[in-house]
Amino acid sequence: MDNVTTDQAAIRPIDAPSAVVRRSPATALSARGEPFMWALGAALTIGIVMVIGFLLFVFWNGLVTFIPKPVAVVTLRSGAMVAGEPTRPELYRLSPDAIKALPPAEAAKVAVNGGYGHRTLYRIGNYDLYNEDFRWVSDHDVDKIDYPEEMVFIERLEWGVFVGRIRSVKIGDRDLANPTPKDPALVAAHKEARARWQTIRRIERDLIGRVNHDLEVLRLDVRRAEIKHGPASTQAEKARLAEAAQIPSLKSEYDRLTGEAVRLNSIAQLNTVTLADVTGKEKVLPLSSLVRFYPANNLSFFDKVSIYLSRWGEFLSAEPREANTEGGVLPAIFGTVAMTLLMVLVVAPMGVITALYLREYAKQGRLVSIVRISVNNLAGVPSIVYGVFGLGFFAYGIGAHIDDLFFPERLPAPTFGTGGILWSALTLALLTVPVVIVATEEALSAVPRSMREGSLACGASKWQTIKNIVLPRAMPGIMTGIILAMARGAGEVAPLMLVGVVKLAPTLPFDGYFPFVHLERSFMHLGFHIYDVGFQSRNSEAGKPMVFVTTCLLIAVITFLNLAAIVIRSRLKRQFAGNQF
Amino acid sequence: MSEVVDAPVKPAFEPASLHPMRGEDGEIIQIRQFNLWYGASQALFDNNFSIERGLVTALIGPSGCGKSTLLRCFNRMNDLIDNLRVTGKIVLDNADIFAPNIDVIALRKRMGMVFQKPNPFPMSIYENVVYPLRIDGVRSKSRLDETCERALKDAGLWDEAKDRLESSALGLSGGQQQRLCIARAIAGDPEVLLLDEPCSALDPIATAKIEELIDELRGKYTVIIVTHNMQQAVRVSDNTAFMYLGRLIEYGDTNTVFENPQRPRTHDYVTGRFG
Ligand SMILES: Nc1ncnc2c1ncn2[C@@H]1O[C@H](COP(=O)(O)OP(=O)(O)O)[C@@H](O)[C@H]1O
Ligand SMILES: [Mg+2]
Repeated sequence: MDNVTTDQAAIRPIDAPSAVVRRSPATALSARGEPFMWALGAALTIGIVMVIGFLLFVFWNGLVTFIPKPVAVVTLRSGAMVAGEPTRPELYRLSPDAIKALPPAEAAKVAVNGGYGHRTLYRIGNYDLYNEDFRWVSDHDVDKIDYPEEMVFIERLEWGVFVGRIRSVKIGDRDLANPTPKDPALVAAHKEARARWQTIRRIERDLIGRVNHDLEVLRLDVRRAEIKHGPASTQAEKARLAEAAQIPSLKSEYDRLTGEAVRLNSIAQLNTVTLADVTGKEKVLPLSSLVRFYPANNLSFFDKVSIYLSRWGEFLSAEPREANTEGGVLPAIFGTVAMTLLMVLVVAPMGVITALYLREYAKQGRLVSIVRISVNNLAGVPSIVYGVFGLGFFAYGIGAHIDDLFFPERLPAPTFGTGGILWSALTLALLTVPVVIVATEEALSAVPRSMREGSLACGASKWQTIKNIVLPRAMPGIMTGIILAMARGAGEVAPLMLVGVVKLAPTLPFDGYFPFVHLERSFMHLGFHIYDVGFQSRNSEAGKPMVFVTTCLLIAVITFLNLAAIVIRSRLKRQFAGNQF
Repeated sequence: MSEVVDAPVKPAFEPASLHPMRGEDGEIIQIRQFNLWYGASQALFDNNFSIERGLVTALIGPSGCGKSTLLRCFNRMNDLIDNLRVTGKIVLDNADIFAPNIDVIALRKRMGMVFQKPNPFPMSIYENVVYPLRIDGVRSKSRLDETCERALKDAGLWDEAKDRLESSALGLSGGQQQRLCIARAIAGDPEVLLLDEPCSALDPIATAKIEELIDELRGKYTVIIVTHNMQQAVRVSDNTAFMYLGRLIEYGDTNTVFENPQRPRTHDYVTGRFG
């Protein structure tokens, strides 16, 4: 080698670098593989930063939404007044006419900014008065901004929030003029009015609902007997007699309950509150229709914390109102969790049994390979396709037959013949079963051969070996598959929109009416709720903060479900981890 | 157990000598013209010999000569392998264990097996030992306890394990694990113990313990031990079979095979000239 180099150097000018001796730095680097390491490190960092940034963004926005904000009263140069929570500022391009209308000082500012000006979005509420919830106010039109202490922020049952002042309150025949929001008489009256409202709701929903349910059961009994034995049969006659015997008592119960509700309602009408917006426009409301009110510019830290917590409390424990943009999401939490658990109940045995057959019993050959590849490919089918399949196969296919066989008396109203929580769980189980199958197969094949041989040599049958040795040993791996399936299933929305998720489900899938579990019912889901609140509501601006809160919650629910599964898995794992050195 | 061997098949060669205990209990396993193929490649050629009841028989030979293959035929562990084919017979109690109507599970219950690497199950020591009874559906606590104690005592592990029966078997040392596997193998009350290089993963002290144990098991069980360690074969076995390239080269009393081998190849092997 040396010789060669020397020879070459001899015939070349002395300062020419020898290609043989000197490697270029690039070659050296790539030979050592360092650029790849840097690239890998950079990719990893970018990935982690993106994930953490995303989570921080969602959680930050979700967590600040419920903090009570001050209410600004903006006096414009024109003399008009706007009151509301400042939501966010923005740069915007002013039209030439608008610039002309500005005073010279403001126009100069806009000119400096190249024709752009600042404006602020205020949440003004009072939709019933203004026909809008939010209004942009150009900073260049503002004369002054105040934060008057008497401004009150009111959450109502209808028409969204109200921003203004409390003029007067009528409690029975007593009048309070210009009460502060913390006036003990007002607070007590409000509490009582809310309690009365709850009672009315309970009567209307639960008690009258039960009477209606009983009436419906009787009607269905008659219908069933008529379909089964013919309208003229003795059975049908008997059912009709039973119905006739019960109807009077149910009717009188119904009348008594409605009477009670009417009475309470008339009392409620006696307790009213007169509100005025910032311009003095008045609005009279029953006291019971106020959910929460507070002096937005006169809150101690403790007040703020308690409002914040009470909003979270309502969000987590109440039903939605105002087209889902306000109130709580309890039915959606419940629906998400129930559907996911139901899906796991279906997908776990289905996936494990399939994998057991494929790995342990089927003769390994071309057919099994094809099945295995197909299963893997199933995981790549777009989820909406599963939705279409679920609707067509489960709801319209199997469900319609179930209706024909078991619920003919309810037709034409479908029972199982339409979307529901059961069909949703089954559809998602189909969607996620490849994950479980693949994980289980892997876990099964990772069980050491020596374990199986040990068991077989003891005289255990194949099934005993699988049951006693292989499955317990593979369980952590199987749980991993189930966790992945659960994570995938709980976050899936598209297929559910076809097979059972609705914007507002009047009843939960579990209640006090026989048979207590109603898997045919449609349900609410946090994922769909996000879509609905954010993009389908009257005013997407009002829904936007709720999108973040609900997203936070969805992530929290899925994390919780996964953590629970991970805890179970680590328990299982500990069992197999020997302290062998 | 149906197929009765009609006439004793004449062995391919007359054993040079067999252990003095021979004849008292007779033969338990007879291997007759036994050939075995893994797919197209033949691993065992025309094997003919008999294992004697109550004695320790060692299978020796260079690596890959088919010792494990033969051992695994006795309890049909080879059934797990696809494309395995056999001809000839292995006869246990007058029945060919490869006959189609043989109950493999019952056969395996008569044969305890211990493998090269200790393979305790990821359960407690107690559950490991009583596993053969559990799969038989034995519920009686007293019977399980009694079996556990007997098997652990037989395997020489009782003193070390009696205070930690409920702790995981994976926490035992390698040698203890192997003795646990022996306890598990004898808990099911087998007649034959098949040991496939049981000491190859163990240190010398653990090996000595296992050898002692095999010595104590002599008489209670028929032991067939595969070993690549010739000193071990000399120490523990009564009879020795020397195999080479799938064929049985020499079979007889251990002392004779080692001190006065009849075949030159056996001589070369036991004197360490190859293998
Ligand atoms: N499962 C198998 N498939 C194919 N060939 C095998 C298999 N097991 C063992 N063999 C072959 O059979 C021969 C004997 O192997 P084995 O009985 O394990 O030898 P030993 O235990 O004497 O070292 C070897 O040549 C080995 O390659
Ligand atoms: Mg071997």
